[in-house]
Parts: sequence; C-alpha cells; structure tokens
Amino acid sequence: MKTTILLCIMISLVYTSMIMAGDQGFVRDGTKRSITLPALVVSLKEGAGMDTTSRYCRICHSLDYITTQQKFPKAKWQAVVTKMVKTYGAPISEENAKIIADYISTYYGIGG
Amino acid sequence: MEFKGVSRRNFIKTLGITTALAATGTIPPVLYASERRLVTYPEKTELLLLTSSPPQLETPLKYFRELITPNEALFVRWHLSNIPTSVDLDTWRLVIHGNVEKPISLSFDDLKKFEKISYTAVIQCAGNGRSFFEPPLFGGQWLNGAMGNVTWGGVRLKDVLKSAGIKTGSIEVVFKGLDKAALSATPGFLKSLQLDKALEDDIIIAYEMNGQELPMLNGFPVRLVVPGWYATYWVKSLSDIEVTVKSSESFWMKTAYRIPDDPCGCVEPGTAPKKTVPITRMTTRSLLINPEDGSRIKFGQPIELMGVAFSGGYSIKEVLVSVDGGMDWRPARLGIDIGRYSWIQWFYPWQPTKPGTYQVMVRATNSIGESQPLDGLWNPSGYLLNKIERHNLIVT
Repeated sequence: MKTTILLCIMISLVYTSMIMAGDQGFVRDGTKRSITLPALVVSLKEGAGMDTTSRYCRICHSLDYITTQQKFPKAKWQAVVTKMVKTYGAPISEENAKIIADYISTYYGIGG
Repeated sequence: MEFKGVSRRNFIKTLGITTALAATGTIPPVLYASERRLVTYPEKTELLLLTSSPPQLETPLKYFRELITPNEALFVRWHLSNIPTSVDLDTWRLVIHGNVEKPISLSFDDLKKFEKISYTAVIQCAGNGRSFFEPPLFGGQWLNGAMGNVTWGGVRLKDVLKSAGIKTGSIEVVFKGLDKAALSATPGFLKSLQLDKALEDDIIIAYEMNGQELPMLNGFPVRLVVPGWYATYWVKSLSDIEVTVKSSESFWMKTAYRIPDDPCGCVEPGTAPKKTVPITRMTTRSLLINPEDGSRIKFGQPIELMGVAFSGGYSIKEVLVSVDGGMDWRPARLGIDIGRYSWIQWFYPWQPTKPGTYQVMVRATNSIGESQPLDGLWNPSGYLLNKIERHNLIVT
C-alpha cells in the first residue's frame, strides 16, 4: 500500500516537472533533435454532418481551424470548402462538400 | 454577436482568462479568440493556442515588456501539417541549385564557415492582429501575439548564393523548407524573392536565435530572415534554394499572401481589389503593452505606460501618446535604439487627474514619415494591420 502511494507521488512529480520544464516532447541526441507534438483533441458540436466534417477536414488540419473562426454566412463556408477541394486538393465529393458546408454554417456560422 | 452579455469585440479586447492545458487534452467545440487556451509545445513556454495541427501558437503580450523575446515564447506558425519533427545535423543538407555555375550541398558545419552576421529584428506574421479587422475576415484569428523581437545570427544569403555562382539570366530565388502537406495535391510551401532583393546584405540564413539554436517549431536548424518584411518569407527549416530564370508559379506567391496593388494596400471594406501584388514590407505599428487593455489603476498613484514600436526597416522617429481618446497627443520617451529592424520600447509617465475610464491611444512614425491610420485600412486577407489601437484604462 505504502509503495503504491509512494509510486503515485513519484509519477505525479515526474509528470509535473515535465510540464513545468516546457521541454516535454523534446529530445536532443547528439546531432539529432526530435520533438513529439502534444495530442490535442478538438471536439465539434453534435449535429447532422459532424462526422463527415470531422473525417474530411482532419485529413489536413485540426478541427480548431473551424472552431476558432468568426461567424460567417453559409455562402462563405461553401466558398471555403470549395477552396479546400480546388486549391488544396482535398478528396471531398460534391455531396460531402455540401454536408460539410451545411454543418459548419449551421453550427459555427451566422445563426449557429 | 453576443456572448454572455459582452460583445465579441470587447470580449476579444479584454482578453479573458486562459486555462492551462496539459500535454494532452480535449479542446471544447467553440473557442472565441478571448478564450484561447495556454498550451505547452516542445521547447516552448505556455503560449496561446490558435490551432493545434499544423501548430499556430501566439505569444502572450506580457513577454513584450522585454526588449528581446525569449526563444521559448516566440510565436509558432506552420502552413502544412507534416512539419519536421526530427532533424539530424549529420545528414541534414542545404542545397543550392538551379541557374548556378556549381550546385552545392552544404552541411551545418559548411554553412557556419561563412562570415557570421548578427542583428535584432522584429519577426511578424502577415496576419498578426487579423481578429481586429472590421468587417471580420476569414483566416487565422490572431490577436497581437504573432510577433516578436529576436537577435538573429547566421550567414548572408548573398555569400552562399555567390559561392554557387549565379548565372546570367537569373531573376528569382526560390526557398523551400522541410515541411510537407498531408496530400500530394496540396501546393508545397515555396516562397521566392527577386534576385536583387535576395542579394541585399541584410538577408541571412539564420542558425541562431538569441545566441542559441532555433527551436524545432521555429525552423531548426536554419531559417531565412528577411528583416523588415513579413515572416511569410522567413522560410523555416530551410533545406532547398533554387535560382531560377522565370517567375515563381508557387501558390504561396501567385495566389496567397497578396495585398491590393495600391500604396495603402487597401480597398473599400468588403470589396475585392482589381489587382494584387505580393505582400512585402511591414507597416509601422505601436502597441501599448503595459498596463494591458482593461486594466484597473489605483487613483493618485503615478504610473508609466510602456509599449513597443517598429516599422518595416526604418527607425522609429517618434511615438505619440494620447490618454483622452485622441484629442491631445504628447511624445513618449524612447528606449535604446539597437537598430532599424528591431522594435524600440516607449515609455510615458502618467498621473491621472481624476478617477474614470481613459482611452489610451499610441501612434508611431518612422524616419521616412510612415505612420498609422486612425481608422483601420481594410484588405480581404487581413494583412498589414496597423490602425491606432484604443485601450481603456480604468482609474478608480
């Protein structure tokens, strides 16, 4: 029992010191530098089209690219999704592009 | 738009309380600019999270109370999601090729054999302050933290190019880093400079930030530094330099990072420009850093307002401060001048004569007379922001 508690304290101390140092996820090994990016998960508002939006948008970027935007009308979001397909080559069918633009403008656009 | 009875605009300006987020965590489904979380990325202190992948992190304003921005506090901005997360200097090379006499491949040690140059320069994202545009604009909703003042150390781009021998007929130099898009169909992040610009003395390939190696997230092992120009040209984890005989067709030059072709770089709000040109030099800016907007100050106590001012490669000649919403303007005292690319600190001692809310405004002018507009100039991409900021200080 005592050992378990001690172990827990030790683990939490190590964890805290890693956070405080700001160098967690950074390794210097001779001439090599490596980092591990934090695994941050962005949740979207529940609603029709959320899964499709999440699946396709995450191919290229985290979903906070959606959630941090200001409120725009549907036409703007349609143009943005079209840009993702035409300019950046996102493999999104016309049908799914419509679902995504509908979802984002409903839940994150004007009125959402 | 209302949010808990506070208008979005005021909410952004007040800069709400931020919460620290551990190395892993769930980000809620709505994030107003004011509610940015503080996150810790490798080699970085707690920064304000804009997006997690590709990472875009901004510097909390408190770090700008110092003349030099610490490496761990400098903002992070990548365009493509496959950013370099591992570099071995043993195998890393910087390649110079294209219309040159002799293509070369330089190791980190080879690069360091060129003459070392060092100076302090402001690095600022072209879209810094985009969230303050009215009407609002699509794109990264930066507050004012996508900037910093860093002492860069490296070698002249010119010296490196000349060692490869620039052949006649060359017109541009194209820069590419180690970052890659998730999809092969996405345009790679290529930026270019006209040859005459690329040969300017002050453009360097930097391998040091404030005397230390670059953090991975700021472009380890080397990045381009184009002082006076927006950071879009400061290609991170630079690995490939190509001298070309024709103008770049890169999406990031031809379509993105462009401003209206007008001396002000602006158009009527909400309209499209007839013609655009690539964004280049930074506009003149001044910011109040301390006390922060919305601060409460105790009446009867003298305080000193302070902030920073900079412009695209010209020294700041004057900073004027108004504490009455722009009616009366008085000169601030300027701090030490460490060069035309650095920002300069300004200080303004102030003792309010009575309690109340004071609107503080600051305006800088550089040595060629460039200053800041009272009302914001607008462009469709949300670049060049330099309108005179209005901050409320409450004296009680």
